Parts: sequence; structure tokens; C-alpha cells
Amino acid sequence: MTWLKLAFKEWRRRPLRTAVTTAGVAIATAALFSLLAFQKGYRNGVQEELDRLGAHVLLVPKGCPYDAASMALHGASWPCYLEQRYLGEVRTVPEVATVAPVFMTALDAPGSKQIVYVGVESNILALRPAWRIRGTFPNHTDELLVGAEIAGRNGWELGQQVSLPGLGNRFGRISGVVAPTQTADDSFIHLRLEDAQRRFNHPGQFTHILVRLRNPNDLDKAVAQLRGCDAGLSMNVIPLAHLFKTIQSLVNSTRLLLGCIAAVALLIAGAGVANTILVAVAERQRELGMMRAVGASRSDVFRLVWLETIQTCFAGGLAGIAISFLASRGVETWVRSMLPFGPSGSMIHWEWGTVTICLLCALILGSLAGLLPASRAAAVPPMMTIRGDGGWA
Amino acid sequence: MGMKSIQLSENPIISAKALTKIYPRGREQVRALDNADFEIQSGEFVAIIGPSGAGKSTLLHMVGCMDAPTSGTLTLFGQAAERMTERQRTRLRRERIGFVFQHFGLIPTLSVAENISLPTLFARRKAGHRAEELLTAVGLSHRRDHRPHELSGGEMQRVAIARALMNNPELILADEPTGNLDAATGEAIVDLFARLNREGLTVLVITHNPRLAAAAHRCIELVDGRVKRASASESLAYSAPFFCNWLVRRSFNVIR
Repeated sequence: MTWLKLAFKEWRRRPLRTAVTTAGVAIATAALFSLLAFQKGYRNGVQEELDRLGAHVLLVPKGCPYDAASMALHGASWPCYLEQRYLGEVRTVPEVATVAPVFMTALDAPGSKQIVYVGVESNILALRPAWRIRGTFPNHTDELLVGAEIAGRNGWELGQQVSLPGLGNRFGRISGVVAPTQTADDSFIHLRLEDAQRRFNHPGQFTHILVRLRNPNDLDKAVAQLRGCDAGLSMNVIPLAHLFKTIQSLVNSTRLLLGCIAAVALLIAGAGVANTILVAVAERQRELGMMRAVGASRSDVFRLVWLETIQTCFAGGLAGIAISFLASRGVETWVRSMLPFGPSGSMIHWEWGTVTICLLCALILGSLAGLLPASRAAAVPPMMTIRGDGGWA
Repeated sequence: MGMKSIQLSENPIISAKALTKIYPRGREQVRALDNADFEIQSGEFVAIIGPSGAGKSTLLHMVGCMDAPTSGTLTLFGQAAERMTERQRTRLRRERIGFVFQHFGLIPTLSVAENISLPTLFARRKAGHRAEELLTAVGLSHRRDHRPHELSGGEMQRVAIARALMNNPELILADEPTGNLDAATGEAIVDLFARLNREGLTVLVITHNPRLAAAAHRCIELVDGRVKRASASESLAYSAPFFCNWLVRRSFNVIR
């Protein structure tokens, strides 16, 4: 017999009540765990997505910068366009190393999700150093560079002449396949910029321009110059580092609110646990008195009831983390629908540190919630075993 | 009604002089024990008898270090009970006294073996083979993994007695140990106490059971908190069974 075992056996007495009490802690811990995992996952996801662009500055038509960034990252049809003449002005900024114009559109293809076509020049490769291409970048008219996922889905092979999804009887030849990147690029069809402009009837227009600087430390200077030129009046200049900070600050304000809710949930759960254990102590007066009579000290009884409370909260913590894992997909879908900008990868990122923090919170909660019931239990006199009216269940 | 002969030590393990306990009840004060004088020698088997409200349980609280006297002196194992700290009282209960209760006091969530081993947890000792030995001694080896609700009343009381013996106490205090048992089961428990006493344990029982009182070496009768009558230890060899039987019957008459 050990103290832990003795405390654990108490669960047998009122299993339903214990389960309900534990469920309260589990829900609160699940909220905390989801919040922490989301915070980590969202931060990593946004950072990775912006890094994937390979650019320091994103130039887009006037409008909401978050929508524009989301479209550039995930693929979409753009409602307005940039003009060819802006390109020259951007290239004159001395801090700019690479200017990669992009024409992007998305089409509905029967029996498939949206097909995203991306017209790019070969200098896009300077912004995508992680790409591993089997074959070549499109050098000739109607050649295609396709992502691994869309190639696999359609059974496309290198060199194959394929019907372009969503474009009726138009054909193209697969000149290259990009190895899986675990990003939206895997489902994009890249083609030469002029081919895209021609096919989609927007000659001389772009949807956005990716700009890479010679030195990222010159970001503010470069942004000021880009905003100051004539073209700057007709387009949004989005420094991606600033965009990241802005998105994070937006999410942080939400996180603070959610954090308060999780904290309140934990406090309520703690009060519930304390109340349940107090009731249990009142019901077990004779039993606790018997323990005192057969040699338990006040601190022994305190320890026993305290352990029971901590065990309940710890079990609730474990259950909460398990619930979080099971519900993570649903929570992620819900959260994604509420956010102005969400990375395409998983937004729930857990690590052992998060698990440890949540279990520690549950333990601290149990420790605090157990203080009052344990003190009450320790005060039960040994003669209560003879004098008390109830207690033997 | 045979002669009983026991070996008594010269120093009493329990000695009470003018032992008084007053409880407040609203504005009144109730003298639960009133100048009680008695001694119990090591190796004795003593029954405390008397009608309800006579102060038997209060006496047990005092002797069991569960409560402190209002006045008078109580010496337990050579130590003045009224001067003991809480820690000393706990240690005394844990190491030198075994308790048996009318309602058994078993923890329903624990098995028989776990209930018996419980005092070793508080004594920071390992149960080892002691629990198995006691299970065998009380004839419950086959019930070791059963839980209390699966046992009969007599079996539960035997488990409680085994638990009381777990830390090798010198004194067993029993509060109406046959009070919740039928006559036949009560007989077995009486025999068990008699056997434990023959093996050297000092036994002090509160009882209304004439058979249990008759098994004792002597009886102490309490009425209204006072020791009304007690067979002297010197006369134990011939008087106890007869005297106790007579006192118990008399107590029953008082109750009626």
C-alpha cells in the first residue's frame, strides 16, 4: 500500500462524481492546451508561409493587404491587376535584387478543387531555392511546371502532353515536376508569364510582384522608395516582416481574450474540484477519524486528501490534452474560419513543452484546490470514528 | 465458570486518578466522566460496562488518546496523557494501541488485505508478511482480495481486529465489538479476543454483551460518569466471570 494507491482507490467510491469533476478540469486544460498549441502552430505556420515566398516585399494592387497576402500564398483569382510599367520603376530602386512578377488565377475544374495557374519568369527560382525540379523550368510556349500533388492526382508524367484543367481543349506539355514542398505550390501549375497573360487575356498585367532585397536590413529604406515612386500610388507595398508582426499582434489580442477565458475555466474547474472534495471529506468524517485513531497524523490525512485532489486534477489534465488531440482538426477548422489570414499547413502545433506546461497547470490547480479540503480533513478528530453519524459507505 | 489465573505486571499500563471530562452542551456542562479511578495492568482483559450515556465511550476516548481529560490524571504506558503533545498521542495510537470499532471502520474501496495493511502506511513500515499472517490468524486468507461489502459482519470485525494488530500493539481498545453481530458471530469474536489476551495482549472492551464481559478478567461498571463498581485485580483469579455476568445483567436492567 502506498499513499498514491490509497488516494487513487478513492476514485472507486463515487466514480460518476469523480468523472464529472475530472471532466471540468479536462475541459479547462483542453482549452489551455489548444490555445498554446494554436499560438505556436499559427506563428510557425505564418512564418513558414511568408518565408516560402522568398521575398522581402510583396507588391499588390490596392486593397486589403491581408487578403492579398493570403491570395498570393494560397492561390486565387485576383480582382485587379498591376501594370507592366510598374515593373520598370520597381527595378530602379537600388536596394532591390530580384523582381519577380506573377500572374495568378484560379479556375473551377469539374470534379476537382480549384486549379491555380501561376505565370512566372525564371527568376522566380531565385526566390524558391528549396524547389527540387525533375525536368526543366518552362522555356517554351505552353510548357508547364507542375506541383507534385497535382501531378500525382492527375497521373501526369514528365514530357506528357496534357489537357489543361478548366481550360477546355487547351493543352500543355509537362516540362518539369516540383518535388513535394508541403506547401500550396504542390497544387499549382506554373507556366511562363507571357503564356499566362495570353491565355487569361491580361497581356502586360500582373497580379502581384515579389521583391527580394540585396540586404534585408534595408527593408524600411526600400519600402519608402517603393511607396514614393509613381507606381507606389497604384499599389500596396507590403513588407512581409511587418505583415508578420501585424498578423501576430492581431492574433495576440485574440489570444489574450482566449487566455483569459481558459484561465477563468481553470479557476471554475478548481472551485468545482475543491467543492467536490469538501463534500467527500464531510461524507468521510468517520473514516478519516478511524485513520487518525489507527495512527494517521494530521499531516498524513492532509497528504491523503491533497493527493486525491491533485490526482483528480492531473487526470483531468491528461484527459484534456487527449481531448485536444482528438478535437484538434475541428478546432483548427473553426479557428481558420475566424481568421483573416491562415497558413495552409497545420495551425495546431504541439510539443512536449506545451504538454508539460498544461500538466503543471493542472497540478498547481489541484494543489491549490486541495488546500481547503485537506485542511478540513486534517482537522477531523480521531474520536469522530466513534461519535460521527455517517461515513462508512 | 472456571478459575482464571493470569500473570500481571506490577506497573499498570493505564492508571486513572480522579479522571474527569466535562463537555459543554449549550449553556450547560455535562460531566461525562466524574472522578473516575481505575488501573489496568499489562496482560489484563477488562470489560467496561454500564448503561448508555454512562461515559464508556468518553473513557475510551481518554484511554485511546483521542481526547484530553478536563481534570485528573491519566497515565498511559508511564506517560501522563494530559501532558502529551498531539504528535505523542498520534505515535502512541499508532505504535502501542490497536482500535476495534463497533461499526468495523473498514474502508470500502480497499480490499481486506489493504485494510489490514493500512496502519503500516501511517507507521512508514512495509506490511511484509505480517498482513498474511494476520489474515491466516483470523481465518480470512481466502478473503484477502475481497472488499468489505462482500464480507459478513463477523468477517468484517475479524478484519478490523487484524488491522488493530498490524503494528504489534500492546493494548487493544474495542468499542462494542460485538454490537453489530448476531449471537453466534459474536461468540467467535469473544473467543478471538480471549485468545489474543492469552497470547499476551492487554484488552479493554466496552460491551453490553454478557458473554464478552464474562470472558474478561474483570469488569468496570460506569454509571453517570462514575466508576460504580469494579472487581479488583487482586481478586481476579476467582471473581471476574461471575461478577461481570452479574453486572452486565444489572446494566441491561438499568437500560430497560
